This record gives sequence, structure tokens and C-alpha cells, in this order.
Amino acid sequence: MRSRSQRHTSVFAGRAPSESSSSSSPERMLDEDHEMMTIADDSQTSIGELTGFRNMTVSPGQSFRKVPLNPVDRLPPELLMAIFSKLASPVDLRSCMLACKQWATCSVELLWQRPYLADFRQYQALVTALLSEQAFFDYPQLVRRLNLNFIAEMVNDGSLEPLTRCTRLERLTLTNCSQLTDHPLMEILERNSRLQALDLSQLEGITDRSMMVVADNCPRLQGLNLAGCKKVTDESLIPLSENRKMLRRLKLNDCAQITDATVFALASNCAQLLEIDFHRCHQIGDQSVTHLLTNLNNLREIRLAYCDLLTDNAFLEIPAYKKFDSLRILDLTDCGLVTDDAVDKIVKMAPRLRNLILAKCRNITDRAVISITSLGKNLHNLHLGHCSNITDRAVRQLVQSCTRIRYIDLACCLRLTDASVCQLALLPKLRRIGLVKCNNITDFAIQSLVRRGNNSQCPLERVHLSYCMHLSVAGIHDLITNCPRLTHLSLTGVEAFYRRKEYTQFCRSPPKEFTENQRSVFCVFSGHGVKDLRRYLTQQKLEEQARHQGRSQPANEVGEDLWGDNDDGGIGLQMEEEGTDEELQ
Amino acid sequence: MVSQIKLMSSDQATIVVDKEVAERSVLIKNMLEDVGEVDEAIPIPNVNEAVLKKVIEWCEHHKGDAPATNEDESDSRKRSTDIEEWDQKFMQVDQEMLFEIILAANYLDIKPLLDVGCKTVANMIKGKSPEEIRKTFNIQNDFTPEEEEQIRRENEWAEE
Repeated sequence: MRSRSQRHTSVFAGRAPSESSSSSSPERMLDEDHEMMTIADDSQTSIGELTGFRNMTVSPGQSFRKVPLNPVDRLPPELLMAIFSKLASPVDLRSCMLACKQWATCSVELLWQRPYLADFRQYQALVTALLSEQAFFDYPQLVRRLNLNFIAEMVNDGSLEPLTRCTRLERLTLTNCSQLTDHPLMEILERNSRLQALDLSQLEGITDRSMMVVADNCPRLQGLNLAGCKKVTDESLIPLSENRKMLRRLKLNDCAQITDATVFALASNCAQLLEIDFHRCHQIGDQSVTHLLTNLNNLREIRLAYCDLLTDNAFLEIPAYKKFDSLRILDLTDCGLVTDDAVDKIVKMAPRLRNLILAKCRNITDRAVISITSLGKNLHNLHLGHCSNITDRAVRQLVQSCTRIRYIDLACCLRLTDASVCQLALLPKLRRIGLVKCNNITDFAIQSLVRRGNNSQCPLERVHLSYCMHLSVAGIHDLITNCPRLTHLSLTGVEAFYRRKEYTQFCRSPPKEFTENQRSVFCVFSGHGVKDLRRYLTQQKLEEQARHQGRSQPANEVGEDLWGDNDDGGIGLQMEEEGTDEELQ
Repeated sequence: MVSQIKLMSSDQATIVVDKEVAERSVLIKNMLEDVGEVDEAIPIPNVNEAVLKKVIEWCEHHKGDAPATNEDESDSRKRSTDIEEWDQKFMQVDQEMLFEIILAANYLDIKPLLDVGCKTVANMIKGKSPEEIRKTFNIQNDFTPEEEEQIRRENEWAEE
């Protein structure tokens, strides 16, 4: 079997996998941070290779091309491959394989290098070919990338076993395959020393044993996602840090057993790290974070959300001369002990921060926001949700300096008033705004958001106004008709909407995990829902105007009939709102 | 004054062409950089006159194009076979010419033209059964029935 397979596949041997490091993650939206890094740049390796086909030396396995009578036979294998690489459909590639032997040789790798597996039946058929002793091609050697995320519930240790035949995997994505344990994963990792990206997120069954194999055996590893691998500890991550110096991206979200020791080891060994996520690694303290930041100057993204032991000292102890010109994303969500002093130091050290997440850093005040203004045009996304000390004054200064803000979240900043929203309306690139529970906000704020001074179109795409109790139907109508790009509008708990069937019919359905109470106030419009609501409100408005006209022109033929209804037209909505307010109490 | 250069095809025809146009070919561009100003015709031994003229026609039309960015190619999900209208018309030639253009684009290192050529062929393959593909390109089936069946079986996992 081997000799035969080698004849067909020798073509592909000895090709160095291209580097796979180019996820442009700073560009990613903040709320996508749970998206796996290795998926994010999943398109890199093979394309580098495909475009390099012309430079490959390829020996035609067959000699039937001696007299190329046929125009197509003049194409050397590398050009056939270049053609096949334009075919997106696996079915087309399979048809090419069945045309003749040369076409088969030139298309088989394209078909097998990253098999797309949408259901388990496909996986079983693929595995059967991998296991076949008499296979036409040496398929296990062709597979470079495998993503079992779409069939995750079906994958268990038994069904994973055949993958131990593969030895050239570069990317392995097992996200959510939660039945898996260390076997046969360890064998797979042992045999695939070319691995560059490994995603084991939510594999709660795997332990330090698997990670020790990675530490010993995968010298090219650049991306590792262990989010939710709760059994993994310092015991494997320290040797892993010492051996895997090429690591660029590491996610340790919810690996709650890890301590400062792992952070110290990473800081001392992995100088290439670009992105690191310690989300909910509760045991991490100030000293290790100081060490990490002091040692790793190239970091682009640091996430320390819910690392609630952290205090200002984590940042204040960093030597004053340190600069982090590469740092684009810093997430300190719910680092509740952090104060204005740390924020001031951070923005001075990292002047090119693009995304800054300080949600639930409840101690910070206007002073922190004033410091943040020094980021100027570099700042695109800012989260200050639950930072309830912040006032209109800070927002005004922010808007004056940071004019390129695209996304700002100010949920539960209870002191903010319409004045802040009027300022935010001046941001020319503002696409997304979060004002959930900013209860002082009125229709006036909405008006200023949509009526821009220079007559330009309102750029807002996502607007979060849940629990802004004072908003009326008229205000939302204003918003929805003046923001053509709006795709998301949340009005949960807004009296004027969630109780009204005629509006909620356009809502999307509440998340499964919501309780009955949560469901009853849920009111979120997205995609088509926004369009439908817009159409409905416009229709309603037109009818209302018709009634008004009826009143101003009593001679109108239907005028008489409408007299009675007219009183309800504009004012009626308001009265109803007052009524429901009382119900709430 | 636009500077011009001479190219000599494999069948000894001399073609005069604007330097700027000829330099769409990375091969020619590099040669010109190496040799500097020359009066002699640059030999293009792998491409005959008819094909070379066709290639130059393409280069003329695309001389103002912005240089391709790597980003265009890096997204494999866009393995698109979209071809702009002029190029589609340009590629309406017999198979012999089509494959000669691809070979010439490859030899002369004109990546965007190679790309258009490959896409054109890919579009001829799309949606066809193996038998239809053989018919389209006049390919001889050199599999035994057993081999064909085996490959079919081993690759049946491949779906849309």
C-alpha cells in the first residue's frame, strides 16, 4: 500500500507549510472575543501553498503525456492544480479526480487537505477511507486541517481514533467535542509534530497529560486554545511555556486552576506571544501580570477579564520607561479593584490602544476617562458599562478627543443624561452604541443621535436601549426611520414596546435559558425584524398624519368620522405610557 | 514619449510594444532591469506570435490596473471564479488558445492573466460529471472500472 501511495503523493512531500500567523485579530469586534483564534485565520496556510504551486517541482506520475495531442494535456501538473484550486466545491474536485489519473493526482490533495465536514455521516465515510489498507492514495498524509466543530456532539474517543493515522496535520480544531478525553488525542498529538494551531476549547475531559505531549512534541505550535479545559494546570503549562517558545496566541479562559506560576513561565519564555487571554483565571495576581507586561513588549491583545485579584499595582509596578506600541486590545472587565491610577498608566504606556474594555471596573471615575482621551484617534472601541461614576463631563471630553470611536458601551452609567448622548452624536463613525439602563435618557437624546449637523446619514448599526424607560414610540420611530443601516435594536423592558403585541410580533425570540420573567420583558429587533418594525411604524405614522389632516380640514369627506379618534393620535401614546408606568409600580 | 521595446516570439516574429505594457510580465520586467536599455528584440522562446499578440492585448487593456494585493487571494472562501466582463470576452477562444494563454501567462509571470485563465477553465469544469468533464476536454479515461469505482467510494464523503 505504501509504495503505491507514495508514487501518487510523493509530489507533495517536503513542502514546508507556510507560516500561519496572520489573524488580524485587533480588527475583530470586541464582542466576538469568544470566537476561536485558530478559526479566525483559518484561511492562511493552504492558500499560501496554492498560490505557490507554480514554483513546485511536480513530476507527472504517468507518462501518457508523451504526445500531447489534446490542448489540455499541455498543461503541466502545477497549472492543473492552479486551475483546480479555483474550484470551491468538493463535488467538483471529486469529479476532477474521476476524470483520469493525472487529474486525480492533481486534485486529490486539494480535496483532502482541509475536508469540510458538515455531518457525522461524512466524517464516517472519510474515516473509512483513512483506514483503508488498499486505498488509491495515501489519504492520511494529505489531511492538513481538520475541524470537527460542526459534528462535535457526535465525536468521542472511539470515533477520533482513526485520526491517529494522520501525521501531517497543521490545524486541528476540536472545539466543543466535549466527550473527548486524553486518548486517543495524545496519540494524535504525538504523531503530528507539524501542528501549528490546536483548538481544544470546551474539552473539559482533557488533562495535563495531553498538554505534556504538546509541550514535548509540537515545535511549530503557534496557536493554542484551551478555553474551558478546566483540568489543565500549571503542571503542564509551565513545561509547555518552556518548550513552545513560538507560541503566538494562547487562550486559557476559565482554566481556573492555573496560577501566577504559569503566567511567570509564559512571560519568561514565550517572547513571541501576540495574544493572550486569561478570562476568569481567578488566581492570577498583580506580580505575575506585571512580569508578563514587562517582559512581553510585542503583545497586541491582553485579556484579563474577571481576574478579580488584580489591583492598580499590576500596572503601576511596570517600569516607567516601558512602552507597548503594539498593544491594541486590553480587556479588564470586572477587574473591580482597578482605579483611575491604573487606567492613566495604561494609556500612557499603550498609546495605540484601539479597544479598551473597562466594563464593571466600578471604581473608575471621570478622571480615568479624561486619561483615556489621550488615546485620541487610535481609540475605536470603549466599554465603560457599569462604571456608574462617570458623568456627562467625561463623555464630552472623550468625544472631543477620540473622534474615531466606532463602538461605545455605557450601560448602567446611571448619571449620564441626554447631554452625553448629544455629544456622542457628534462621533462621525459611531456604529454601535450601548445605553442599556441609562434611565435619564429621553426621546430628545434619540433625536440628536439621528439628526446630524451636516446632513450626513446616521451611521448607527446597532443600538442598545433596553430599560431606557422614558423612550416613547415616537422617539424610536425617529431612530428607526433615520438610521438606514440599523440592524439591531434592543428595547427590552421599554414600556412603550415590550407590552405591545403589534410591536413585539417583529421581535426575535428570547434565548432559551431565559426565565419566564426575562422572557416577558424581552424585546430585541434584529435583521428583518428591524425592517418590519420600521415599515409598521411608518405605516402607523402615516395613518396618524391622515387623522391629523382630517382634523385640520374638517370639510374632508371622512373628517367627521375621524374627529373622535384624533384625540388619541399624538397624545394618546403618552397617556398610555403613564398608565403602564403605574402598573409597574 | 512612451518608450517601446521589441519582443521576438518563438516563430521569429518581432512585436513592438510599450515598455509599460510589456512590464505587466514580471519575467520581462526583471529581464529589462537586468540588461538595461537594449535595442535588440527580447526573445520569448516559449510563446508564438499569435499567443504573444493575444497576451499583449490583455496587458494593453489592463495596463492601468492597480497591483494585486495579497489580500485578494488570501481568503479561500472566496475561491471565486468571478471574471470581469472584458476578460470573459477575451477568453472566448478555442481550447488550444486558452491553454496556450495560460502557459504563456505562467511562463511570462503575469499572475492576474494566469488567474483569469485558470478561472475560465474552472468555470468549464463546474457542475459537470466526470464523464462530461472528459468529453469537454477530450480526456481519455485511463482508470480501470475497478479503480474508478474505488476512487468514487473513497471520496464519497465530499459533498457541497
